[in-house]
Amino acid sequence: MTMTMALPSRSRPFWPAMLRGMLWAFLFAMGVLVLYPLLWMALGGFKSNSQIFSDPFALPASWSLENYLAGWRATRGYMLSSLLVTLVSTLTTVMISAWTAFGLTRTAIPGKPLVVGFILGGMMLSPTVALVPLVRMLQDLGIYDSHAALILLYTAFRVPFTTFLIRAYMLDLPRDLDEAAMMDGASPGQIFRKVILPLCQPILISCVVLHILFAWNEYLFAMIFTNSPGVQTLPVGLTSMMSKQGTNFAAVFAAMTISALPIVIIFFLTQRYFIRGLTQGIGK
Amino acid sequence: MKRSLMAAILAMTTTLAGSAMAQTLVADPAAEVKHEGTLKVMTKFGMQRLAPYFTDLAKAYEAAHPGVTIELIQEDDDSVKGKTKTLVASNAMPDIFFSWTGTWGGNFVRGSRAVDLTPVIGPGTEWGGKLASAAVDAFVYDGKNYGIPLYLDAKFMGYSKPAFAKAGVEVPTDLDGLLTACDKLRAAGYTPISIGNKEPWVGVHYVGQLLAYNVPREVLEKDFNPATATYDDPGYVAALEQFGQIAKRCTVGAAMNGISYQTAIQELSDGKAAMYYQEIIEFDSAASATTALKPEEFGFFRLPAPSGAKGDPEALEGAPEGYMISTASGNVPLALDFMRFVTSPENGKILSSPPYGQPSAVIGGADPVTMNPAVVGGLEDIARASYLIQWLDTVNHPKVAAAWLAGIQAYAGGDMSAEDVVASVRAAAEAAK
Amino acid sequence: MAQSATRIRTGRAPGAPHPIGQPLAALWSMRWVAVALGIVGWFVYYPILNNFLVSTTQQDIFTGEVTQVGLENYRRLASDPVVATAMWNNTAYALLSILFQVFGAFWLAAIIEGLQSDRWRAIWRAVYFIPSAISTTVTGLLFYFIYQPQIGILDGLMTGMGLGHLSRVWLGDSTTAIYAIIAMSQWQGFGYSTLLFSVAIQKIPQELFDAARMDGAGPLRQIWAITLPMTREMTGMMIIVTVTGAFQVFNEVMVMTAGGPNNSSQVLGTWLFEQGFNQNDMGYAAAIGSLVFGVTMLCGVAQLWYTRRRRVEA
Repeated sequence: MTMTMALPSRSRPFWPAMLRGMLWAFLFAMGVLVLYPLLWMALGGFKSNSQIFSDPFALPASWSLENYLAGWRATRGYMLSSLLVTLVSTLTTVMISAWTAFGLTRTAIPGKPLVVGFILGGMMLSPTVALVPLVRMLQDLGIYDSHAALILLYTAFRVPFTTFLIRAYMLDLPRDLDEAAMMDGASPGQIFRKVILPLCQPILISCVVLHILFAWNEYLFAMIFTNSPGVQTLPVGLTSMMSKQGTNFAAVFAAMTISALPIVIIFFLTQRYFIRGLTQGIGK
Repeated sequence: MKRSLMAAILAMTTTLAGSAMAQTLVADPAAEVKHEGTLKVMTKFGMQRLAPYFTDLAKAYEAAHPGVTIELIQEDDDSVKGKTKTLVASNAMPDIFFSWTGTWGGNFVRGSRAVDLTPVIGPGTEWGGKLASAAVDAFVYDGKNYGIPLYLDAKFMGYSKPAFAKAGVEVPTDLDGLLTACDKLRAAGYTPISIGNKEPWVGVHYVGQLLAYNVPREVLEKDFNPATATYDDPGYVAALEQFGQIAKRCTVGAAMNGISYQTAIQELSDGKAAMYYQEIIEFDSAASATTALKPEEFGFFRLPAPSGAKGDPEALEGAPEGYMISTASGNVPLALDFMRFVTSPENGKILSSPPYGQPSAVIGGADPVTMNPAVVGGLEDIARASYLIQWLDTVNHPKVAAAWLAGIQAYAGGDMSAEDVVASVRAAAEAAK
Repeated sequence: MAQSATRIRTGRAPGAPHPIGQPLAALWSMRWVAVALGIVGWFVYYPILNNFLVSTTQQDIFTGEVTQVGLENYRRLASDPVVATAMWNNTAYALLSILFQVFGAFWLAAIIEGLQSDRWRAIWRAVYFIPSAISTTVTGLLFYFIYQPQIGILDGLMTGMGLGHLSRVWLGDSTTAIYAIIAMSQWQGFGYSTLLFSVAIQKIPQELFDAARMDGAGPLRQIWAITLPMTREMTGMMIIVTVTGAFQVFNEVMVMTAGGPNNSSQVLGTWLFEQGFNQNDMGYAAAIGSLVFGVTMLCGVAQLWYTRRRRVEA
């Protein structure tokens, strides 16, 4: 079942005219409530440090990019870590999940209900609970404080959810095509690559987008399992930047804006897929 | 179950008492230094401004001894704690590693992870004689030396000379003087003292200094050890109440709990606040060429002592920071040789001067010509102190430290009375026994 | 839904290439799931099981000593006043999030979906969603600044509206700190659930509304009689997901107050961190972890039960 975003026609207004004005005012007020703080943050990046203190509401006295450049220099390294961890873990998570989902929907596996329960059951387990033992495990593996630790953990903790999404999608795919391929003598591996994977493209894109959002913003693991500046990702890097050059608030505002920007852009570019992923994840 | 817990506690206290379970390695002053191999050094100078110090030293040492390679792990204030715990847990401590004094350093002693340096740096040794003795003593545990101090740190009240002039205020000499000065400064339109206690160690630093003024040294040191702590001296409550007076008349009061210390420094730098209680290593950032408050307008004095208090009015809150040698090191003599090089007077002078501005613990390691005058003055003042009381949050057991941190925040916010705070500290010490 | 459920049971590859009787072939067929089983088992299940072992010990990383203390850490848990505070804070988090992010978001979605213009519906959904896309570190720091008495805009705003006397140091006051954090979290999260409700409302057949209108039902009556019951599934799931999330809160508290002042804004996650990583008490931290496990497991079971029941009803 693919979700159709086509909306039912609304020939007549739902809300009576009297109420409509009020509702619009309400929606508009909520919009301001959401956007103004973000705008304030972005503008703060243009202000001088003393203007932030003396004139919090005013527009910047000048539109100098100096703070943004400073913010960029301070976050560049974290940005790189975030980029690496996000890209690699997205790739591993979605690949492993697609592969697993195929196995779970298209092949015979002994004890399949148990396997399904085990993998999808991982969704119910909270990362907080695993924290203490993971410290020791990662130290024993020698990957504490490394990108590999984050990539492994992001993959392990997101494979259940991602598999769940892809599996649900695959269950709804018609079987005629892979049956036909089977008749033509295609192996399961070929069917996976040539038939099913291309058909799953929409849900795969949704999963990629959802995982990017997760990995770019993850804080708990990144905070506890990394501590070198060269390894820390943006969410943690921003807080250490705060404590390192905390008195330059303008640069902190700029850095916050810089780190939020990529993900907001990705959201707007991929809204459609994003919404599908979210609704399938929770609505099923 | 109960018994095993008891056993654990017993084991811990016996280790504390010095009869170490694993045998401690003692440095041998006669050992021959072989200039070959690799030394791993974990520093706390990871910040951009400080990092070149050890990089340069490592290069110079390698140039002098071609057989030696120095590998630096440079961490900053935040990351060094996590990194240290990781390395300890995975038995991968570098040959030389950074340590604070107090409980933090005590952890390495308790776990037999730091080399006993008494024969090389202890009383009467040549090396020990070249370093500020108070700083060397700060790394003594159970009568033995475990650390090599690198620089000194202490807490002073930094102030804006123009603000004092405008309000017609002199540098106060006792606590009452400070409180009256605050009233005048407030009338002149200044925040008398800016303070941000969102990070709760800020208030703890005030109380630490006041404790030294109000509680006799022997009592304090007895109470720092959970095994002998009683926390029944009336000076504890008195010190908290003095902090309460400062908070009420000089600062924003309860609001301090919502303000970050960085915001508070900024108020002094921007010329809006007249005073800010800070560490000597912050002098250079509080007033610089780019802040509204210029370095020549910046002055400092000790937090004034209350008249007639029972403690030591000449005591100063502060502690050196330094380095320890790992018992797992394969080449202790070489590690010591490198640290001797780091603590030479020449390298001490470099450390004391801008851009580093970390007052060296080496005697003769400060050159007033190249240093910020305020740092020079602070250093002289540290030398005059009769007693350096360490930070309450590092000298105490972590549980006791946590009780101080939370309790003082609650006291500042008006949620707890001074008596209740002391009671909670006493309870924490009891639980940590 | 029912259809997928039956498919799971009968789902087998056409021609079932490897009969289960052949052990080697069966083993070979596991290749599809082996990687997932391995990584999830190793990094998700194993540490969580291990957590229970750690929670019965007292550990000292510096000496490397591990002492078995049985249930001592759990006894401490029961008498630790900060754990009680944290439990209450997590509960308040859950309750307020249900109020705003489930019921509030439902009404917001109902309002938006009643608009005539396709474009504006899309715009509002997207605008409200923006904060959810941004990292909680950024929004937490942002609100930390907004709440600051000197540079924050909240105090200025309140003074401007004549409410200056109500203003306080939101994050520095032990009575308001946790609520200030929760408020930030609502600001960040309501757009996410509004979007989900919007999609659920879009799936309701338009004919139902048309028929109701024929019968003379006004918009509020239609929402009450059609929208609300038709999105009940979504509401149920949202409540469970929200409660689970509320007991795993960490990032915003860490960034905004780190649990202070005086531990008044600690939640289970931050108290676990403080005990294990600042106070070097891993055993006790693991016991707190077990508590989180208990609560989230209850939510998980509720979710399973809810899905099952729905399937049966469908």
